[in-house]
Amino acid sequence: MASAETTAEPTRRRKDGADEAAGRGGAWFPGWYWPSFALPGTLWLLVLFVLPFYTVLSVAFGTVEPLFRSPLPVYQPWWWSFDTFSETMQKFYAGDAVYQQPLIRTFAYVILASSICLVLGYAVAYYTARHAGRYRVLILVALVSPFWISYLMRIYAWQSLLASDGYVNDIWSIFAAPTNWLSGRPVTVILGLVYGYIPFMILPLFGSLDRINQSMLEAGRDLGASPARTFWRVTLPLSKPAILAGLVIVSLPMFGDYYTNDLLGTQRTSMLGNLIANSVFQSGQGPEAGSLTVVLMVIVVVPMLYYLRETKRAAESL
Amino acid sequence: MSDSVLDHVTEGTTRRGVRASYFRNPWRKPRVLQAVTVGYLLWSLLPVAIAVVFSFNAGRSRSSWQGFSLRWWNGDEFDSLFTDEALRQAMLHTFRLAIPTAIVAVGIGTAFAIGIDRWRGRPARGANFLMLLSFVLPEMILGVSLFLVFTFLFDNLLSLGTGAQWLGLITFQMSYAVVIVRARLLSIGPEYEEAAMDLGARPGQSMRRVLLPLLSPAILASVAVVFADTVDDFVIVRFLSGAADTEPLSVKIYSAARASPTPAVNAAATVMLVSTMTVIAIAYLLYRRYGRGQHGADVSSFTQL
Amino acid sequence: MAGRHPMDSSSRRWSRRQFLTRAAGGAIAVPSMAAVLAACDKPGTTPPSGNGTDTGEIPLARPDSPVELPLNGDAIATDTPIEEGATLQVYNWDAYMYKKVLQAFEDEYGVSIEWTTFNNMEEGIQKVVSGQVQPDVFFPTTDYISRLVQGAESGPLIQPLNHELIPNLQANVWPSFSDPGPFYDRGARYTVPYTIYTTGVAYRRDRISDADAEAQGYEMLWNPEHTGEIAYYDSYRDALGMALIRNGGTDPNTGDPAEITAAKDAILEIVNELEGSLRINGTYAKLPEGEFTVSQAWSGDIVGAKYYLPKGTSEDVLGFWYPEGERGLIANDTIAIPQGAKNPRLAHEFLNFFLDEKWGYTNFADWNGYQPPFTSIVPASLIDDKVVAPTLNRAVVTEEMFTTALIQSQLTPEVDKLWLDAWSAIQAGG
Repeated sequence: MASAETTAEPTRRRKDGADEAAGRGGAWFPGWYWPSFALPGTLWLLVLFVLPFYTVLSVAFGTVEPLFRSPLPVYQPWWWSFDTFSETMQKFYAGDAVYQQPLIRTFAYVILASSICLVLGYAVAYYTARHAGRYRVLILVALVSPFWISYLMRIYAWQSLLASDGYVNDIWSIFAAPTNWLSGRPVTVILGLVYGYIPFMILPLFGSLDRINQSMLEAGRDLGASPARTFWRVTLPLSKPAILAGLVIVSLPMFGDYYTNDLLGTQRTSMLGNLIANSVFQSGQGPEAGSLTVVLMVIVVVPMLYYLRETKRAAESL
Repeated sequence: MSDSVLDHVTEGTTRRGVRASYFRNPWRKPRVLQAVTVGYLLWSLLPVAIAVVFSFNAGRSRSSWQGFSLRWWNGDEFDSLFTDEALRQAMLHTFRLAIPTAIVAVGIGTAFAIGIDRWRGRPARGANFLMLLSFVLPEMILGVSLFLVFTFLFDNLLSLGTGAQWLGLITFQMSYAVVIVRARLLSIGPEYEEAAMDLGARPGQSMRRVLLPLLSPAILASVAVVFADTVDDFVIVRFLSGAADTEPLSVKIYSAARASPTPAVNAAATVMLVSTMTVIAIAYLLYRRYGRGQHGADVSSFTQL
Repeated sequence: MAGRHPMDSSSRRWSRRQFLTRAAGGAIAVPSMAAVLAACDKPGTTPPSGNGTDTGEIPLARPDSPVELPLNGDAIATDTPIEEGATLQVYNWDAYMYKKVLQAFEDEYGVSIEWTTFNNMEEGIQKVVSGQVQPDVFFPTTDYISRLVQGAESGPLIQPLNHELIPNLQANVWPSFSDPGPFYDRGARYTVPYTIYTTGVAYRRDRISDADAEAQGYEMLWNPEHTGEIAYYDSYRDALGMALIRNGGTDPNTGDPAEITAAKDAILEIVNELEGSLRINGTYAKLPEGEFTVSQAWSGDIVGAKYYLPKGTSEDVLGFWYPEGERGLIANDTIAIPQGAKNPRLAHEFLNFFLDEKWGYTNFADWNGYQPPFTSIVPASLIDDKVVAPTLNRAVVTEEMFTTALIQSQLTPEVDKLWLDAWSAIQAGG
């Protein structure tokens, strides 16, 4: 590393208009060289990522045509009307507050499911990283496999198992009366969310725990700490960045999840994602769908900015 | 190890029995964690295995076994996976979406990762921010916004359907490729390219003959991940679908799960599973070939998220 | 670790300036089209164009005040050739057509059929209106017909039919549907009827006796004994309609906010306290499997449910309750040809095919259980012919029922909004 440092010339990194040397000897890049790599991706995102957000706002603050009440987006901000938006927002706190329960439920389910993902995922990652021994690669393959098994198939598989004549009830009825698991039980939906998203927690945790130097743990023990204290004072703090990253990667998609509830729950356990999906495919609810999407974006933005800041810091500290 | 440790162990055995000594032993085998891990793996994989098995069910049920049969694969006149025109179309459409998406998304994403890594300055940080934002955002938001864009803004250029689905999928999957390739880039460092250029290679040559081969494990991993994720995707493709011929298997499975699924749906899901496993296996084999002898070429590059 | 590598970025801390830049970078950028769009009018201020009619508003159709829909264009000429080798795009409910009948159509005309499905009418209408799906044949419910005729901003959405190409309409169908025609489409200018059905309550006879069913009627769905085993439709007109009538209302098209709120509360009671679920497949697929004990049911759903019974379960296990006289809901589905159909001639053939005595009957008897309004079908003989199980005798629909039962039809936009708001509250749960 030291030799690279002394030979690395800051001038090479200057981007102002150096002509391309013939390539012999020096390695001078023209100013446009590296940005041109990033250009296609950036343009793509501007057109197909940023622009759609603006369209969401235009629909949310737009109007409806009178006959079918299909949405009419208004692109000019000076004509935006906040009627539908405020009407949608009022459903969260005023009058009947019909959207309040789904919102509270969404937060509750996401927090519970993320916590379970963390505890269970940490245990599995810890074992695999530190104690798996011979079976490590095998376990790793098994842990990674949910990534390439369709999320939909996994939840669909549970839908069959949780049917009233499915295997879960077969086992359950040994202990208690057969239950209707799919009749809108929060337990089913939360466990479904855990099942679906826990692989996203395990892999970052595994990566971090794998890299913890064994000598640090031995040092802790040599200084007299019990296994529990070593874990608490050494392992856990070292894996904190991965814990935070895992929590964010797991909880953010959960806020927009609607299909887990569609397949495993009922309207009783509806989440914010269900409200959005229902209004998108319902005639006359276009602006409402846009307003709810804006709400979801706002809810998700804060943890997202935090995560982005953390990853940037991690990337810079390499 | 040291005598004192062994003394501890035997001490516990004589005074309070073996069980106490287990808890006192700092080098004990973690039986609880082991049980938890094994339990987790079973919980994670068994339902899928059962779903695959039930695609061979003789009756209609997906929850009670009624005998073995190939009825839902090929046997039934109208409703089995390979005779039902709708499901066959859906299978074709799944691959029609996944293959181009994997290629284009990984192409643009790799270029972006390389560019962002080297490019300095504020616009670079803005572009980077945008890319990470698209990685972390719930898919639903992107699905709804793209649906609105294609319905209202682009409706004369490109209506909902396969083209729109391609564009939406590439937008969503690009960030996976960027994240994976970027992680690998960071762990490679610039020394190899610099060495190549010191030895007289032109930028294009050093890119082609040094950097890309070094990145090939990450690129292969990205192709596999993007392919798998596209086959699985149903939020964006559902929002951007038009008529029945633009609905891939994932959307069919979702619609059937809410209406009246038959084991043919299980069979369709199994086909999805087998296809992604095949692509992953191919990617892994290629990766073993390219990655031979390289520093850092092990399974962990697949787990770099 | 001495010093920093030249490739390190130059800043490390998250400065305020960086934060603002980042936030701005991710903020919504005003598209450059703004300049172009600035010249446009504010949307929603110009009335929908191109409906080609001289009447502005079409009056709401009701059974006692039928409506003759204005022609929004010309039907296709009788001598239009049948499109060869085409792919007919059909947009219909899931599981609503017998694949064997479709296969027969494909074989007879040498074409192929592509069947796109929707799970409730609101979704179907929304996709046709937005142009997301552009079918040749569409199956709307009667309360949308006049809106489809008038059309959206892009013009009318269904086209007039050429009756010379659909001879089976006059020949096989009840006069009340062909000539003079139904109240929502006098003269059958735009639609032909597809199926007729009543909306009642289906139940498992092995868990509820017929006597109890008769005594409770609609209350079966609100009986706490069946907690966790109740299914209800997730289509807003049907769901709120039945709740309105159960609460004692007499007008299934009411705009009374109090009645609508009471109906909404009744359904929320099913969803929350009684752990019921709102779904489309409760009756035809899940009740036979034993998942539910009682469900809101269209008569065709319960008649066709026998094909979903698990092996070894007898048909007797299915029961259907429907009120005598005025308190029941009745309706029919229609087939129409959208304006932008690419194969309109073939579409006419398709309509004629499903009005054929043999094929329409096969579709009903061997598959979906929904009666077509054919003069050749004698309701009384359906049970003897084993088409309808004896325990489901209430599910048979007769022509007289249409004169006494309640029919849901189009609502004004303001009333529709009341219903939709109640519905979105229901879908949000409690």
